[in-house]
Amino acid sequence: MSKKKLLTPLSSLLLLRRTLTSTPHFSIPHFQSRTNFSPNIEKLRPLFPLPGFDFPGKSFISSQFGNKPNSPHCWNCSAAAQTTPFLLCPSCRCIQPVDHSVDYFQIFGLERKYDSVEEHLEGKYKDWQKKLHPDLVHSKSEKEREYAAEQSARVIDAYRTLSKPLARAIYILKLEGVDIDEEETLSDLDLLSEIMEVREAVEEAPNSQALNLIQSLMQEKLKQWSNSFAEAFESRNFEEAVKAIWQMTYYESVNEEIVKRQ
Amino acid sequence: MAEAAYTVASDSETSREEKSSCTFPETTIGIDIGTSQCRVAIWNGSQVEILKNSRNQKMMSSYVTFKDGTPSGELSNQLSADHDMLSGAAIFNMKRLIGRVDTDPVVHSSKSLPFLVQTLDIGVRPFIAALVGNFWRSTTPEEVLAIFLVELREMAEIQLKRPIKNVVLTLPVSFSRFQLTRIERACAMAGLHILKLMPEPTAVALLYTLYAKQSGFQSTDRNVLIFNMGAGYCDVAVSVTAEEAPRGISEIIALTGSAIGGEDLLQNMMRHLLPNAENLLTSHGVDEIKSKGLLRVATQNAIHSLSSQNSVQIDVDLGNGMKICKVVDREEFEEVNRAVFDECASLIIQCLHDAKVKPEDLNDVVLVGGCSYIPKIKNLVMNVCKKEELYEGMNPLEAAVSGAALQGYVASGVHDPFESVDVLSIQVTPLSVGIRADGNNFVPIIPRNTTIPAQREMLFTTSHDNQAEALVIVYEGDGEKLEENHLLGYFKIEGLPPAPKGVPQVRVMMDIDASNVLRVLAAVLMPGSHVPINPVLDVRMPTVDDGHGWCAEALHRAYGATQDLVSVKRI
Repeated sequence: MSKKKLLTPLSSLLLLRRTLTSTPHFSIPHFQSRTNFSPNIEKLRPLFPLPGFDFPGKSFISSQFGNKPNSPHCWNCSAAAQTTPFLLCPSCRCIQPVDHSVDYFQIFGLERKYDSVEEHLEGKYKDWQKKLHPDLVHSKSEKEREYAAEQSARVIDAYRTLSKPLARAIYILKLEGVDIDEEETLSDLDLLSEIMEVREAVEEAPNSQALNLIQSLMQEKLKQWSNSFAEAFESRNFEEAVKAIWQMTYYESVNEEIVKRQ
Repeated sequence: MAEAAYTVASDSETSREEKSSCTFPETTIGIDIGTSQCRVAIWNGSQVEILKNSRNQKMMSSYVTFKDGTPSGELSNQLSADHDMLSGAAIFNMKRLIGRVDTDPVVHSSKSLPFLVQTLDIGVRPFIAALVGNFWRSTTPEEVLAIFLVELREMAEIQLKRPIKNVVLTLPVSFSRFQLTRIERACAMAGLHILKLMPEPTAVALLYTLYAKQSGFQSTDRNVLIFNMGAGYCDVAVSVTAEEAPRGISEIIALTGSAIGGEDLLQNMMRHLLPNAENLLTSHGVDEIKSKGLLRVATQNAIHSLSSQNSVQIDVDLGNGMKICKVVDREEFEEVNRAVFDECASLIIQCLHDAKVKPEDLNDVVLVGGCSYIPKIKNLVMNVCKKEELYEGMNPLEAAVSGAALQGYVASGVHDPFESVDVLSIQVTPLSVGIRADGNNFVPIIPRNTTIPAQREMLFTTSHDNQAEALVIVYEGDGEKLEENHLLGYFKIEGLPPAPKGVPQVRVMMDIDASNVLRVLAAVLMPGSHVPINPVLDVRMPTVDDGHGWCAEALHRAYGATQDLVSVKRI
């Protein structure tokens, strides 16, 4: 089935020149699966239910259905949550269990907009780490130490996701209930041959200057498509948004390849 | 025979569950066990206090001497330490030997030490023994470290007048997870509870962050490179300290390290001073041990002198008609050790590259460790980092232990109303972890310098038609060749359904939690299904114990490539 697709001449050529990223975090979509294997690591997580893991399904169900029935209370001192997100109780400073209905944007107090991420994200991320990091709660109860580990891991994920344009695009689209459909790309032969050419140029680049040149080109393309994504998403044209994600994915993969060679 | 000073703990006692049993604030000490010297410190709320031994020394040699069957740490018999070394009764340099197998080059170079280090070169632990009277008394690096840790603990307890259980320990960046378990074992034997194991330069980075916070720089972010070289290891870290709120966070960006250090400088120099020394250095007769000891002491003193003067006169009678009478100058010393210095420089270049930081973007360069007094080291660090001067605010010998003490203070949850030591270290994985796949290759799943905690996943598939089983062999390291990395363990996935090669999907997920515990999970799915066909395998690593060197080869002999995995190619 899907394996057959792999053997179309063009894609098999691409497969040969693999050398590509083996960074599995935000894996590059691959031709293999027509199956339901999303390239997105988060979707795989329910398979491996570890502390700190997200079940994105949950998060958009609750965001679609609006408010939670009860506003949360601190598990330790029962004070009612006065803030969203409620990661830390302001009255007893206890770390709260992970609430998956709070999305990554809410963690950082951001509007759910593609370009709402500003430069202070890093500061906000570090702010949370100073409150939630497991190193700071060695003397607390086992329960709270576990919450700290989970919250801290989730804040890292949130930061990593939102700070990268491509990851952020995939994530925000998923919050809208749109998952990336890999078959889409197979039709875009123009993009594929373009990428193949670029990749050849990367492989044959005589020096780091040439590499830097290709890289700045890729970054330009990424920026363009990131803008197109923002526009498409804003006008809720999800089909265009998905297309932009594919473009970004490929340019990003070339970019990573260059970084590896530099 | 007197009772051993340490408690023999069962292996399970080194496990994390056991460790997390303490739930109230207790005093936590920081320990820097160096290859040749070690220190203990405590943070008293406003500053670090380096603990002293009964002879009022802050720095203690990492020796254990064996006498009449009663091993004891050096703390109580410094005066006889040199004598013990000449007689073969003193065991030291254990940090270079712990958790290594007898095929390791570092173990081989340790054969020149003045006690017994024997190898069979088959990938088992080396045989180590001290000469006591007419007996070779066998020991292990774990035992030696435990004896030593007991002495350090007792010393701290006497000085602080309270029982001590919790420690933060600093360790080399290049230590594998297997080596960490050996350290955990030694601590458990010594009745110590590890709150955190910190790579040495990250402890220094934390201290730097506190100083930066206290002095209140006005710039935005401060990039700092830390170069730490002691007797056994050389480590480099790049850390970013944010000056905008929130302050006091040391975010490690990149770590790199190698088992090179003052010991290598010493050995190269010994071989230089005594050409044809190979026979002497590898033999273990009573006379040879004495000669080796004398050569060692003389060479060490000469190297120390060369840090402050341009040339030194060496005059030593090694016995058996061997005499060294020679003037050595600094240039000669630098030439003899050129390879070591080159490797130091390449570690810095590597670390800057990984951190994506240019030398011009470094705000400070911190040089610490015993080797930081060597002029050539200073020069090469300044050259590579393009700096005219180095950061001056720390004692190079006390920086790591001070950082460990600070981390211990923060971790023990002591109430800190003025937030005076409100600091946090965000750590990364020092080494990549991955599995064997695509033939005899290492495929990293969590790359090095990934922020902890981390989870990453990769997709693999079978390499043969109707392959019913697949071996997951877990390695750690950054060597290009598989064998250059540390084997952490292995397990077999059974019951793959008959299918052409490339069809079954083997998903391997790696998880490193906040306490740095590594778990490897593996699940098999068939295309079109969301449900694993068998229960998911969940394995805590490392699983290897002694003799792990030959395990990989044994697996290869038994299975060849029949149970191989290949990574799924992606565009």
